[in-house]
Amino acid sequence: MTAQKSTHGSGNALDVVGDVPVRLEEVIDREALVEMCRSMQSLFGIGVRVYSADGALLANVASDLDICGLVNDSSQGRVACGATVSAAKSVDPGDDGDVVHACFTGLAYRIVSLDYEGRRIGRIVLGPYAPAGLREPPETLARTVPKLDVIQSTTRLSAVARVKPEALGRIAHHLKTTLELIIFSSHKAYVTSKLHLYSVRESYRALEEKTQRLEQAHSKLKELDRLKSDFLGTVSHELRTPLTSIIGYSEMLAEGIAGPLSKEQADFVGTIHGKGEQLLGLIMGLLDLSKLDSGTMSLRQASMQIAPTLQEVISTVAPVAKKKGVELVLDDDGVACELAADAERLRQVFVNLADNAVKFTPKGGTVTIRARVADGGASDDDDEGGAVLLAPVRRVVVVTVSDTGIGIPSAERNKVFDAFYQVDSSSTREYGGTGLGLSIVKRIVEAHGGTVVISANEPGGTVFTVTLPSAQARRTLPSRLPPADRT
Amino acid sequence: MQLNFAAREVAIKLVYYGPALSGKTTNLKALHQLVQEKSRGRLMTLETKDDRTLFFDMLPLVFKADSEHGSMNLRVKVFTVPGQVVHASTRRLVLQGADGIVFVADSQLAETENNAASFLDLRANLKELGRSISQVPLVIQFNKRDLPNIRTDVEIDELAQRGKEPVMKACAVTGEGVLESFFGLLDRTWKRLDEEHDLKDKLGLRPEAFLAMAAASLGHAGQATALASAFIGGARMPGTPPSGGTVR
Repeated sequence: MTAQKSTHGSGNALDVVGDVPVRLEEVIDREALVEMCRSMQSLFGIGVRVYSADGALLANVASDLDICGLVNDSSQGRVACGATVSAAKSVDPGDDGDVVHACFTGLAYRIVSLDYEGRRIGRIVLGPYAPAGLREPPETLARTVPKLDVIQSTTRLSAVARVKPEALGRIAHHLKTTLELIIFSSHKAYVTSKLHLYSVRESYRALEEKTQRLEQAHSKLKELDRLKSDFLGTVSHELRTPLTSIIGYSEMLAEGIAGPLSKEQADFVGTIHGKGEQLLGLIMGLLDLSKLDSGTMSLRQASMQIAPTLQEVISTVAPVAKKKGVELVLDDDGVACELAADAERLRQVFVNLADNAVKFTPKGGTVTIRARVADGGASDDDDEGGAVLLAPVRRVVVVTVSDTGIGIPSAERNKVFDAFYQVDSSSTREYGGTGLGLSIVKRIVEAHGGTVVISANEPGGTVFTVTLPSAQARRTLPSRLPPADRT
Repeated sequence: MQLNFAAREVAIKLVYYGPALSGKTTNLKALHQLVQEKSRGRLMTLETKDDRTLFFDMLPLVFKADSEHGSMNLRVKVFTVPGQVVHASTRRLVLQGADGIVFVADSQLAETENNAASFLDLRANLKELGRSISQVPLVIQFNKRDLPNIRTDVEIDELAQRGKEPVMKACAVTGEGVLESFFGLLDRTWKRLDEEHDLKDKLGLRPEAFLAMAAASLGHAGQATALASAFIGGARMPGTPPSGGTVR
């Protein structure tokens, strides 16, 4: 009748948050119940039986009364006794939940109900006991078991202790209250543990759903990222083709192949050519970026030294620096350490960094490229020990490119590696550039198993520190670094 | 609702919902105190050390009602949910199968946002269970009327006129407004169940008679209509009794 859609697996929680009848068998420990009934029996000398609502006997602690033994000696008595006991078991304790059931021996049973949350969940049968007014065997005894020895039965019956109804009522009430309290406590414990279980299950379900949604979103994003890279690659490629013609023809024009140009015409063609080259640079950058992103850029890694590459970098950037009045210093201190790297790509990295440094350094400033070899220093797995063995193979080449320019606020330092990012969009206008360079730098360095970080150059300016693992490090610690032979 | 024709038994589930520390358990404790002993079961509270509700509280109320078809057992189980945000899954579990809801709001101005958040949480949880809040009988109780810095009576009265739900003002620690909220909800819940399941014919019990009997069994004979109509708002004309029934 519960007209409710159960949307998930925890719908069965209704067994604790609904109104499911409590079963005595389920909330009570039988051995403990028997123990308790035995203690009641030894205290008051009256037998105790506990039945569940559907008549199952859960505890049976009977007193061996002599009179009962006598009656049971005769076959008629045995039959009559059995009938009385089963009647006592099924008699309805009525609305009051308390009734007396008489035995043919003159003894009696007191039957009280066990109730929980307004439902009858079982009954207690106390007895047989001798009611306070019982003096001699009633005629029902002689009638039911005619062959019984009258003297013996009278003696044995009088040996049974007499119990006043009020006293028995108090005993019954005590037992009922105690049992009901136990039922409440164990039902409470049952509900708590069940609900705990359901709550955990429900939380797990909610988390699982969320994880699934996140996974879907993640794979969608990955797919989008791939599409973006593909798009960039295709577009760059398609753009480059016509641009090559523009550059080629403007070059031919400038060279006068199509006839002499006036000075003004030559200027215009020069601008077209210059801007074409600039555009080509940008497109090449985009292409590199998309290749790096999609993992299709091939690094031609070979054994190399950093010093000659840095020399080349200096000679490439020198004209621009000179024009701007920025001093360019190389300090490689004869650094010698074998790298397994793509020399052309590393040149691109340092040209980019040096070019950037010059761009953001005002006239009269200095850009310094400094190279050193260092022991790998601290590593993530230092906790695992063995530093004395591992440090020598963790040698790295550290190249810093420092300038005395405008600097980068610390909060922005990690973002500059994002593609198309510039600290302040106004700097694009002032200093030019697309914001592509550093993201390419980072990707190339990482593809070599290295790192690039930014720090401040006191009192002003920026230091880019590129750390490249030695060829030996990449051979011996392959798990933490991309392998050196990657192509 | 669980309807057992064979046992002539109707079980209704009412849930007290609301933000953390708004006084849901206090409501239930007060209700336990305010109803006659013979009609109530033990109050089951599942609390942590610092008196915060861990899973729920539950108070069973059981009474007999005489209908045209004979005597029957009415069982009303009143639950509270744990208010703390972390117990979201438990709230949803306890909410299952609810026939009516008392939303216990904290009157303190500082709690305005928590009240709203908890109400949205209730809506979301019902939706998750495949039910809409408009289908579930609901009353709103503004608790803690005795505290300073609370939303004023005038403000609540004005707001109540704008909303659809009956609004009660209460101070659960003193028991004020507790019975009104309970009977207000019980009345609405039974009427809704009557509409849905035609209890009038099936059980031979009219809503007014049910409410009057419930009140009498819980020790508040003759006060049913007064208690159930002590609210403001609820999209009814002022002065119209909610059930149109007579006080017995």
